[in-house]
Amino acid sequence: MPAIEVVLYSGAIGLSIIGLTGLLLLNNVFRMLLALVILESGVNLLLILSGFRLAGVAPVILPEQLSNLSAIVMNDPVPQALVLTAIVIGVGVQALGLAMILRIKAQYGTLNMLKIREQLEFDLAVQSGVATPVSAHSPVSLASGRERQLSNHKDEQ
Amino acid sequence: MRNIAGLLFAGGLAFLLLVLASYLPYGQTPMFLGDAILAHAPGEVHTANIVAAVLLAYRGIDTLGELSILFTAAAGVGLILGHRSLRSDSAGVNGAVNSEQHSGFITTRAVDLIMPLLMVVGFYIIFYGHVTPGGGFQGGVILATAFFLPVLVRPGTRIEHGVITLLEGLAGSGFILVGLWAMFYDQPFLQPIFDSFLGTGPLGSLWSAGSLPLLYLAVGLKVGSELAGLLVTVSEVPELSETNISDADDINRK
Amino acid sequence: MDNIVLLVVLPLLAAFLMPVVARSSEVVARTLGLSVLFISIGIILNVWSQSGQIDSQAVSIVIGGFLPPLGINFYVDQISLFFALAVPVMVLLFWPWHRATSIREYSLMMLLTASASGLILSGDLFNIYVFYELLGIASYSLVAIQGRVSAVAASFRYLLMGSVGSVMMLLGIAIIYTQTGTLNLAHLSLLAPEKLNNMLGLASFALILTGMGVKAELFPVNSWVPEVYGSVSSNLAALMAGLLSKLAVIVIVRLLILLFPQPEALQLMGMLGILGVLTGELVAWRSRDFVRMLSFSSIGQLGLIFLAFSIPGEMGMMAGIAIALHHMLVKPALFMLATGWRGAVENLSGVARRSPFVVLLFIVLILSLLGIPPLPGFWAKYLLMVGLSSQDGFIYTLGMIIVPLAMVIEMAYLFKIVMIMYRKDNDEPAVNNSNIVDDSNIVDDSNIKVVQKHSKWGLAIAASVAAMLIAIVLQLQPASDKLLSLANQLSDRNYYISTVFPQIHTVRMQSIK
Repeated sequence: MPAIEVVLYSGAIGLSIIGLTGLLLLNNVFRMLLALVILESGVNLLLILSGFRLAGVAPVILPEQLSNLSAIVMNDPVPQALVLTAIVIGVGVQALGLAMILRIKAQYGTLNMLKIREQLEFDLAVQSGVATPVSAHSPVSLASGRERQLSNHKDEQ
Repeated sequence: MRNIAGLLFAGGLAFLLLVLASYLPYGQTPMFLGDAILAHAPGEVHTANIVAAVLLAYRGIDTLGELSILFTAAAGVGLILGHRSLRSDSAGVNGAVNSEQHSGFITTRAVDLIMPLLMVVGFYIIFYGHVTPGGGFQGGVILATAFFLPVLVRPGTRIEHGVITLLEGLAGSGFILVGLWAMFYDQPFLQPIFDSFLGTGPLGSLWSAGSLPLLYLAVGLKVGSELAGLLVTVSEVPELSETNISDADDINRK
Repeated sequence: MDNIVLLVVLPLLAAFLMPVVARSSEVVARTLGLSVLFISIGIILNVWSQSGQIDSQAVSIVIGGFLPPLGINFYVDQISLFFALAVPVMVLLFWPWHRATSIREYSLMMLLTASASGLILSGDLFNIYVFYELLGIASYSLVAIQGRVSAVAASFRYLLMGSVGSVMMLLGIAIIYTQTGTLNLAHLSLLAPEKLNNMLGLASFALILTGMGVKAELFPVNSWVPEVYGSVSSNLAALMAGLLSKLAVIVIVRLLILLFPQPEALQLMGMLGILGVLTGELVAWRSRDFVRMLSFSSIGQLGLIFLAFSIPGEMGMMAGIAIALHHMLVKPALFMLATGWRGAVENLSGVARRSPFVVLLFIVLILSLLGIPPLPGFWAKYLLMVGLSSQDGFIYTLGMIIVPLAMVIEMAYLFKIVMIMYRKDNDEPAVNNSNIVDDSNIVDDSNIKVVQKHSKWGLAIAASVAAMLIAIVLQLQPASDKLLSLANQLSDRNYYISTVFPQIHTVRMQSIK
């Protein structure tokens, strides 16, 4: 097993594990998004390695090779195309996630997943009428939501 | 609790991947599809860049799907960030920033100089996509950079989104119309067309590969306009308060 | 027949063009989307009427002129044609008419339509992934733009879960590709008994199940369901719970049949199904508002569907399709009724006197959902029980216990609602409720107003679903014949292979191998 492959494969596996662990352990939504990016790159690396051949060259035919095409060993072009697609898909997801984070930050005033979730549960309960919005920690308005977040912040300090 | 479950899951995945690694036929994976395409592509599609043949001819509908994904993401980002809560104070703040906070003479001039060059490089990479490593995606990203750099050095510049909308819509429909063109001749959707006036040159020349360069042009313009639109939309969001990253406890210590 | 590809292409074209057209004429842009939906329905009906043989013979449509496995093909059989018809019809039924909708939202709806049709028709593993992602991104965006910031937060959690799922699915695809070197479903199916019938195959199935399971509300990856359904409009919730989850289920089942012959895969899916039934129904029993109850009951029903599909043989297949189709009819109707009954269950007291007809409709729907004879839901569950009893194995015995138990729990909470509705109560807490929500609307500016009256459109949908249920009871024999032929066609691997690779082509392929 050539050394370069060991490096590449352990890189791919390592990146996937780092990404997944980060997603599961982190609470900051922005860092969670970054962990997702790392996870995606790990899997993409694994996918592109599935088309890797020893002594293979890039699947582009050079003019001087035209005469003896069958003699050259080329890497599998399909995973390369697939990874290109997967990267673009990843970019789309990340952009959308980033936009959502900006919106959440602007209105909930926090990036902490636990707090966002708490507030979300509360908002849902208010919307469906099973909780009264005038309870002790009610974030009925944007302003009070921010204040609450700030006061929580002070409490922690 | 969530931590333990998470770590178990990550550990399981690590184990799975390591097992997979031990099973892998290093460097000699079964390449059924790859070999068949490598053998057929030069004769069937006449592209020197075989990845381009896979992207545009053999798996053309995948590419259409991913263009749609970019479009969807751009539309979603536009709608989410176009919300009042993010826009109301932006006009005032950004307007004030506009005149004072530009990036200095050297940067601004350098960007002005480099932008047309980037445009040329981007289009070169798009037009030669079927001949050299490169193509619509890579070129499109460079075009988006060229478009976005002037915005970056002059914060607060108002960009007319209409141009981007027009370009992304027309480029996307262009891709589909090239596909429908084949159906018009009773061929399957997205069948490459090798017509008298389209590229019929020898393999490796610019004027080869039939309708594929047209598709790549559409892809490049689409990717460029979507990414530029995304970057511009995100850059127009007013600055949020600073208490963002530091206040979140990173590791769940429960 | 080749026109089937237009089902995917035309909505995409419309989605791309709508924002451009809207710059000159808003009205034209809005009608563009609707007319594409009508054209899609027309195309399918045309295919259906023109080629009567689709009932007995599936067709593989080549895209780009490259024969599979080199190119991508669409596979059209009865079930995919049926769902391809259901997609534009249901999108049309739940079209966001009533609001001052941005043209980009219509564009997103068209993208959702295109991706849903593509997902069900595609015959290529990676192409399925692409359409699944498109479906995912379109639905995250649609959820996030529902106005309130809580919708954005719910959508973000949905996005994280969905994209981790799809990365896992991509990993599964990568494993399959390293093992087989191909992506076409028929070709994979040809190679599967030899190459994928091992632990790696099972692992890739588990990974793909994790990915597709997010949309299909499968047990461990369904925590987004109550949050999302609770924060979006009833129309979108009906579309997602009714249609999109079923599409994911059908794709999972197709992959399972074609790619993963090992019995462990079935047992894994059955186990997750049972857990889904249990958790879904138990939480639904404890939830205090109507929409949340419906969301969790939807998780439970999807669990039943997975359990049914995990039974090997045609009985399981029939039961699974029957429950899926039944749920696809009933759940959107219930969500439409929920439009008028948002809020805590207690607020519904006295509703029966104010609108007796609507409550009667509700009772018919939940009776069928529960599986009370002679409504269609009963026959679906009957098939499931017969299928379960014909198998021996721990999972299936457990299923025999869990399914009636789930029915009892379901009955408990649904009849609790009915009791509340018929309770005599003179004060009208519903009005208070709407005031509360309006308060939060002011600060959180939403465009979903909590409607205390049912929309006529929603009622019409619910009524026609109830009528359809009764019609099915009257036409039970033809319906079950149809079901049997659907199940047979869906479960026949060799048929799929021989459709995609007709004889000549198979010979050529073997020579390549």
